[in-house]
Amino acid sequence: MRGRVLHERPETHENRAPCAGSRRARRQRPACALLLLCLALLAVVWIGPAVLLPGAHGERAATGSQPASANPPAHATREAHASQSAPANPGAHPTQEPHASQPAPGTPGKPAPSHAGHAAAGHAADEHGAHEAHPELPNLIGVLYRAVAGEEGAAPGWLVALHHFEDLFFALLAAGLLILIVRLAIRRMNPRDPVAPQGRLQTAVELLFGGFRDFVLGILGPEGARYVPFLGTLFLYIWCMNLFGLVPLMKSPTAVLNTTGALAVCVFGYVQWTGMRRLGPLGYLRHLAGDPQDLVGWILVPLMLPLHIISEFAKPVSLALRLFGNILGEDVLLGVFAGLGVAALAFSGLPAGLPLHLPFILLALLMSTVQALVFTLLSTIYIMQVLPHDASHASEEVGPQAAAEEGTPAA
Amino acid sequence: MEPSTALGFALPIGLGIAALGSGLGLGKAVSAAMEAMGRQPEAAAKIQTAMVIGAAFIEALTIYAFVSVFVLQGKI
Repeated sequence: MRGRVLHERPETHENRAPCAGSRRARRQRPACALLLLCLALLAVVWIGPAVLLPGAHGERAATGSQPASANPPAHATREAHASQSAPANPGAHPTQEPHASQPAPGTPGKPAPSHAGHAAAGHAADEHGAHEAHPELPNLIGVLYRAVAGEEGAAPGWLVALHHFEDLFFALLAAGLLILIVRLAIRRMNPRDPVAPQGRLQTAVELLFGGFRDFVLGILGPEGARYVPFLGTLFLYIWCMNLFGLVPLMKSPTAVLNTTGALAVCVFGYVQWTGMRRLGPLGYLRHLAGDPQDLVGWILVPLMLPLHIISEFAKPVSLALRLFGNILGEDVLLGVFAGLGVAALAFSGLPAGLPLHLPFILLALLMSTVQALVFTLLSTIYIMQVLPHDASHASEEVGPQAAAEEGTPAA
Repeated sequence: MEPSTALGFALPIGLGIAALGSGLGLGKAVSAAMEAMGRQPEAAAKIQTAMVIGAAFIEALTIYAFVSVFVLQGKI
């Protein structure tokens, strides 16, 4: 093992810091542990929805196998929620009808929601109610809320607030988890000898970091090292939030436009700030005008300037929508198939369901990683575009070191 | 035709058309990238990066259609 690991080393990037723990880096171990963790997660995940999908039985027996109406009590909860938050934000989306107003034809099992209060609730169906309108796996706060509030929606105020801001809660949870892991990883790091290997977790984290650093440096060139912290944080945070959708009782905060929009605004601000700092104010304006070189370029400035400004603003919009749409689609897919699996066994009355969504979990694992990577990659490209030497070295160095950039998983 | 009925027809069909288009685009892009990688394996990482970026842009078009389906879903 040791001989093999040492033998691998010369292939790695030359300016990479001496790989921590190369003496006893059992590289297979983190991967194996990760794989085991994933398998355990998969095993748990398909049991979770079967037990926790609200009103899995009884309702389903009445409705037959109708996946669209997979969780009728959720409708009631949402109505209750909407009517609770009605005084808070009246008429946020006056035209937005709650999804609950569309009773699937022939669903006698639907617990008749108060149609009197419905009209009032319809006006208060804010964005929150709207994004809950599609099938999704149950999460911790939703289950808690449903358990406490029941059908009539009498929940304490803090729970209502928590339910309303559940995406924020899960996003903060992801951030806290990442901070905790990294803190644990560098806990025993010796400041005087930072490359000395200390423990497996540190080795794993450094392996991830080293791979990501090589990836960013391969795109931005050697001076891209100062952008590695921002981009790496972005990648890990988004990745973690995406994967939260696969953990039982968790929910992807990135399946909400608010979260992805905030991330995209962060990237937008950082890119513009980097451009102003690296190019100077005049250079930045020149960049926005399309870097005019000759007379024709200067004549075209009135045309190019608005175009560039519009395209700058289009970048965060497309970043946010891409991540949001992908993760939302993934979660809805999982939710629909989990509901289908529960419906398939509803006749038996057992608290179980067929794991019909198991293949899609594998797909979702892949998609979560790819989408986090794509978000980060596009942010890197946007930074590269505002650096002074843009696009000059990106095409030059397709050389022997290109092979060393293959550090991140599933590129 | 009722607006909601029209939406009920238009949303899935529109999403299907968008997916068809970006499927064709993705096929072209990925096949070209694979060909390039086969011809020049030492540049595989660069080509792959560029391919992923391009694929993200192509796929974004379907995602826009998908998001608009979700936005309009409540009106069906």
